[in-house]
Amino acid sequence: MTVTAPPAPVDAVPTGRRRPGRRRASRVNAGQSRYGYIFVSGYTLLLLAFGLLPTLYAIYLAFTRNGAFVGVDNFVRVFNDYRFLPAVAHVALYIVYWLVSLIVLVVILAIVVHAIRVRWLGNTARFLFYIPGAIAGASSVLLWLFVLDPTVSPVSALLKGMGYESLVNVVAVDNLPVVFTVIAFWAGAGGWIVIMYGALNNISADIMEAARIDGANAIQTAWHIQLPMLTKWISYMGIMSLAAGTQLFVEPKILAQATKNVVPEDYSLNQLAYLYAFRQGDFSGSAAISLILLVVALGLSAVFIFRGKLFERD
Amino acid sequence: MTIILLVFAAFFILPIIWLLLAPTKTNTQLLLDGPFSFGSFDQLVANWNELFAFGSGVFSTWIGNSALYSFAALAITLVVSIPAGYALALIEFKGRRLLLVTTLIVMLIPNTALVLPIFLELSAARLIGNPLAVILPFSFFPFGVYLTYIYFSTAVSRDLLNAARIDGAGELRVFAQVAMPLATPVIALVGFFSFVANWNNYFLPFLVVGGDKIPVQVGLANLLSNVPAFNPTTASSIVIQLPTLALATLLSVAPILLIFLFAQRFLVEGMTAGGTKE
Amino acid sequence: MTVVAAAAAGLLVLSGCAPTASGGGEGRYGFTEAEQVPDSEITVWVDASREPAVTAFQEAYPDIPVKLETYDGNAGGSGSFQSKITLMDQAGEGWPDVVFSTQQNDAIWASKQTLNGEQGFAAPLNKGFLDQDFLDGFAPGSLDYATIDGTVYGLRNDLAQTVFFYNQTLLDQFGYEVPTTWEEYGALGDKLAAEHPGYILGSMGDSFMTYVYYGGSESPVFQSPETAVFHSDTSDANAEGISKIIDGMLANGTLVQDSFFSAEFAAKYADKLVGVPGPVWYTGAIFQGGLATPAGQIGVAPPLSWEGGDVAAGNVGGGQWYASSHSKNLDAVKTFLEFVTSADEFQVEASSGYPAYTPAAEKWLDKQAEAAYFVNDDFKTVMSDAAAQVWDGWNVTSWSPETAWAKVVIPGIAAGETVESLLPAWQEELENEATVNGYTVK
Repeated sequence: MTVTAPPAPVDAVPTGRRRPGRRRASRVNAGQSRYGYIFVSGYTLLLLAFGLLPTLYAIYLAFTRNGAFVGVDNFVRVFNDYRFLPAVAHVALYIVYWLVSLIVLVVILAIVVHAIRVRWLGNTARFLFYIPGAIAGASSVLLWLFVLDPTVSPVSALLKGMGYESLVNVVAVDNLPVVFTVIAFWAGAGGWIVIMYGALNNISADIMEAARIDGANAIQTAWHIQLPMLTKWISYMGIMSLAAGTQLFVEPKILAQATKNVVPEDYSLNQLAYLYAFRQGDFSGSAAISLILLVVALGLSAVFIFRGKLFERD
Repeated sequence: MTIILLVFAAFFILPIIWLLLAPTKTNTQLLLDGPFSFGSFDQLVANWNELFAFGSGVFSTWIGNSALYSFAALAITLVVSIPAGYALALIEFKGRRLLLVTTLIVMLIPNTALVLPIFLELSAARLIGNPLAVILPFSFFPFGVYLTYIYFSTAVSRDLLNAARIDGAGELRVFAQVAMPLATPVIALVGFFSFVANWNNYFLPFLVVGGDKIPVQVGLANLLSNVPAFNPTTASSIVIQLPTLALATLLSVAPILLIFLFAQRFLVEGMTAGGTKE
Repeated sequence: MTVVAAAAAGLLVLSGCAPTASGGGEGRYGFTEAEQVPDSEITVWVDASREPAVTAFQEAYPDIPVKLETYDGNAGGSGSFQSKITLMDQAGEGWPDVVFSTQQNDAIWASKQTLNGEQGFAAPLNKGFLDQDFLDGFAPGSLDYATIDGTVYGLRNDLAQTVFFYNQTLLDQFGYEVPTTWEEYGALGDKLAAEHPGYILGSMGDSFMTYVYYGGSESPVFQSPETAVFHSDTSDANAEGISKIIDGMLANGTLVQDSFFSAEFAAKYADKLVGVPGPVWYTGAIFQGGLATPAGQIGVAPPLSWEGGDVAAGNVGGGQWYASSHSKNLDAVKTFLEFVTSADEFQVEASSGYPAYTPAAEKWLDKQAEAAYFVNDDFKTVMSDAAAQVWDGWNVTSWSPETAWAKVVIPGIAAGETVESLLPAWQEELENEATVNGYTVK
């Protein structure tokens, strides 16, 4: 779930935009239109096969059992599973840590980097922040396994100073939200910093200059001018990260493997859905859990597109 | 301010420096020497040999699988996304808006959200275990379509296309000879994002392929079972020592790391394009 | 939708893995055989410790091509065996031909039909595939864990009864006696901690300690009195008693928390381990292996019991070999299984534990006697008696007892809590797991 490359929303505009072609729309000829369909056909096929069809099939599975309609039975069974609520709590707690640290630190770092006057220094800083994004998925978890194991860690003195003598201490269940936050922040924050930096560049030099003449210091400028300009990007980052956070899988999965299940294999919701499918042979239960997660992600995404302002021209 | 910057620069970069140095050490050196010391090139070679000898060279197979899945998906992604983005931006047809909004919604869903449903679907279609079970879902890349759409709607004018049409060019020729030559930057960008996302993907291939078809991300996790420090067993000749695991981790991301290093300027510009261009 | 369905159908043709027709008939071995390909390569999954078995086989049978793949051996009840096979079942191909698992309970799922209604992964072994004479060579009862309704699905690699190992040299030096009861074991811990701090009597760092201490102390923690019924009572006097002893020894440092197999354990405690209750495979895996204790120091005493109670041994794994019902080269599989469980080259020469195959076990014991590895001459009797004393109040179920221990107890004691205080949470976790796995908790 680590965010390698957050899609940078460019200021454009599927909804409500005045399309340059609209006034000619009446003159659209059938030939052009036919080529339109040809051009989108491959993509549409993939969209149906790996976007719509799996969703429909998951809905079908989630409401049936062995082919018979069972209403919400599968959901009830999943809710009553003793692992379900703890998994929800684990994921929720992780998301809280992750969002707060992401929003606070990314904004601060973007403003700090933006304030650097020396050009090459600013570029280097952005690059240093961004480069961990290259290491995602299982690789980043493995790297962090080294960093978190006091016996080999490059920061073992720090870990031992905090009272952690072994990997099992470090990855105690209560520490996991912080551990996953650190891993996700390490790999994902850089991309967002770069995006925020770009947004800050948008603020016109005149406004900044006017603030300076009014006697505003750097912190006041940040608070009163830069921050308000960043809000839509911050909400975009927040929603994207919230949706991604619910999907927690590879981090606890690999830590469970590395600690022989001291990090439980049913820590997150996706892990639970995996166990339903691969251990209990219960595809309906698995579909029910993944459907819940999918609905959350879809909801966030749709709210953002239809209510948010980001994808509309200012 | 400088302190904040330095602390975070260290946080982001030190693990990577450590990862670059770890494979040059022996297990003992890794445990006892300073974390940022250099071992020796001989040891790096020894660790390299140990890694590629493991399981009769299965590591190479994994890298090969990753390359196959990522490149095949990349090719399909480009072949379907570029025309689609082009058509969405510059051609009028019924259902265009629906397709665009759907694309946006799906694009904003974390790709992991669809993994289990896709697994269940592929299972019903009996495609599990087939390389296509990885390649086809990897090829579905709505963000790529969106990027192309944005690019064509801002960078290419309709008048240019219409001029070509008036000259008697058919739609295919307009696309191939007018639009495509202008599309190089967006092709590179879509290609990059698609490749990085697919190479690093763990969840989907973990569920849909097994045995000797797994890509390196999944293989890496399998290696863990042979590392005594994390999975203690008795002495045996096939164990993987920690520096070798570090080397495997490094190699597993090496292609991406290289792209990041050499394309940094291009990427940072690409990512901030939305923020800076208006 | 029709477009997609057509596409899916097209892919199906492309992939060439159309649904397999469900097998007709039982076949000559009690399962539907795959089409046999003579001399084809067989794939074997083992944990790292069983790699010598494959190497030995390749030396003995250079003509049979074997592909070795290592995995975690399902250690700690990780479930990786089942997850991986589920994926192969989904794929309809790619199964390994032989799998080694450190757990005892895999036959429960591996004997069942898959979700797609195809036959289970594990091939029945006693319906003609292996000769009854050969199967009779296994120690009585040793195939029980992998026997379901009279069908044998797995071959036991080694017996894993617990005994008490002691270091005679250290005991002499300190003037201590070998403990015979859990009470004495705990008291020895107090004495050792006071008089010779730094010396130890075991480790709680591995999740299989649940078998050593709770199975070995006759604690009714993991029982399945009848099919699909689970019973656990961590408040039983035995469970409480052994937990108090463990807590005392954790507190005074005579029980440590490093894994027995970790490099650190060998480095720190190679000459500090005074005595330890553990399965007979500690002989090769720990003393001759990791710790490299020379011959003539270690003795073997009967398993610890409660004062006035019967002698009872715990059972710690032992490992099982499974054959795939999908194998394309059953002849090679048969040769392989017979070799790894009975041939001297592995079971006597290279295996760490006490072979389950009786003729091999005798030779293994002879080998230890010849090397004069153990200080007591009656170690053979002690070990073979203990094999017959494994407590029958600890059962196998479709999930492993180790996961609850790993989830609740290991992190708990690492955080400084007492085992006694963790007992209710441990029982709750066990009962929850039982419920999820379709057992009724009684």
